Amino acid sequence: MIRFHPSAQQLVSFVDGNLSPAVSLMVSAHCDMCSTCQRFVEQETERLAGSLLEGSLSEGFLLEENGSKSADFNPDYSTMIAQITQTPSSLEADSGFKLHATSDKNKFSSSNTVPVVNTIANNSRESAIELDGKVFTLPRTLQRYIEKTGSWSSLVGKLWQAPVDLGSQGVANFIYMGKGGSVPEHTHRGTEYTLVLNGEFSDGLNSYDSGDFIFMDGQNTHTPRSDHSQGCLVFTIVDQPLHFTSGIARLLNPFSHLFFR
Amino acid sequence: MLVGIPLEQSKSTIKPKECAVEMSDYLVEVAQTRSKIAFSKIFNYFAPRLRSYALKQMGNEALAMELVQDTMSNVWQKAHLFNAEKGSPSTWIFTIARNIRFDMLRKLQNRKEDVCSDDLWPVLCEQTADLNEAPLDEQVTLEQIGYLFESLPVKQKAVIEAIYIDGKSQQEVADELVIPLGTVKSRTRLALQRLKGMLQTND
Repeated sequence: MIRFHPSAQQLVSFVDGNLSPAVSLMVSAHCDMCSTCQRFVEQETERLAGSLLEGSLSEGFLLEENGSKSADFNPDYSTMIAQITQTPSSLEADSGFKLHATSDKNKFSSSNTVPVVNTIANNSRESAIELDGKVFTLPRTLQRYIEKTGSWSSLVGKLWQAPVDLGSQGVANFIYMGKGGSVPEHTHRGTEYTLVLNGEFSDGLNSYDSGDFIFMDGQNTHTPRSDHSQGCLVFTIVDQPLHFTSGIARLLNPFSHLFFR
Repeated sequence: MLVGIPLEQSKSTIKPKECAVEMSDYLVEVAQTRSKIAFSKIFNYFAPRLRSYALKQMGNEALAMELVQDTMSNVWQKAHLFNAEKGSPSTWIFTIARNIRFDMLRKLQNRKEDVCSDDLWPVLCEQTADLNEAPLDEQVTLEQIGYLFESLPVKQKAVIEAIYIDGKSQQEVADELVIPLGTVKSRTRLALQRLKGMLQTND
């Protein structure tokens, strides 16, 4: 059961489009897994669209200054309409697209089973990542990043990580903790977001389950550990490397950008 | 100075609800007949409102008009993707505008993250239907499938296990079980049909 969600403020900013791209990605992936937040986002989108686009033009739609002469501002809308309506619809532009794709509700009753099997196999290949024979289906938002995911490498103990190339800002990784695996005690210099994709882990402060969205900005020191029989797969984004605080684990600091919060 | 005197009262008398139905009909008309008149109606209603939103967001007339033009172009070109059952015209159009703005700002800020609005809010994907799947916590769990799987007839179970769990090809399964390929195919089909039936009655 999902216990940790983005804050209402984060969800609202997500709908506004004002969260950073990396954090938006985390929130979006969480919503793929969490019907409660998905519904909240849908309702907030409706509310915002209504307040922005359904109000009358006379209330708050006039610009500062020259309100009485708003006609002067009026851009050449008729030219714009003319330009736009000259372009083809995307259906015409993409002639390969079939307007009435058959509903796939009856896909299993198709007399030819081969394509069905292939489709399932292909889909599962694109929507899942694999580690050591285990296959993890990813939330829709993260599926496009599968092809940008590097190969798994073993860290200490039962920890594995695969880097995801999001571009320059922030470092994203899939991290897998095998059963009994743990991350050495550490603190955070920046902020870190973690989304639990599969399995459970705990860090002495809390226990986290699939779908949990965890935000951390450097107040706590902790030691994540998974005792779940299937281990635990998470997706994580940090904007600053972690800092390991004790003993031999300090040797990890050169690699610390790889870790949990 | 700000002059808060209503100037366009005649335009403000349309109730949002009625307006949604009206705009929804125009969108369907644009999708089906490419009606420029219907598009003009949509445009005349939404463009000034979008411009007001865009000006607040972009703080610059040129960028604001770019946002309006891109949004309305998408409305014209992709009207067939609008689905009145999923939401109102204003929600659909706002989502398009918000997505364009998100990508514009990302470029303006020179952010290099490879995260585009389509990934976050796939409103204009041609396969929107596929993407609108239930959230994972409402989907069938592996345990459920496993339970149903156990109730399959032994022969079907063996085939499904070999193909979907061990990842073997149908030909490999046929060779292994020394049965014709056609039999493997029909067992697969029957098993999938049965699983599907059980999942539906399980809901």
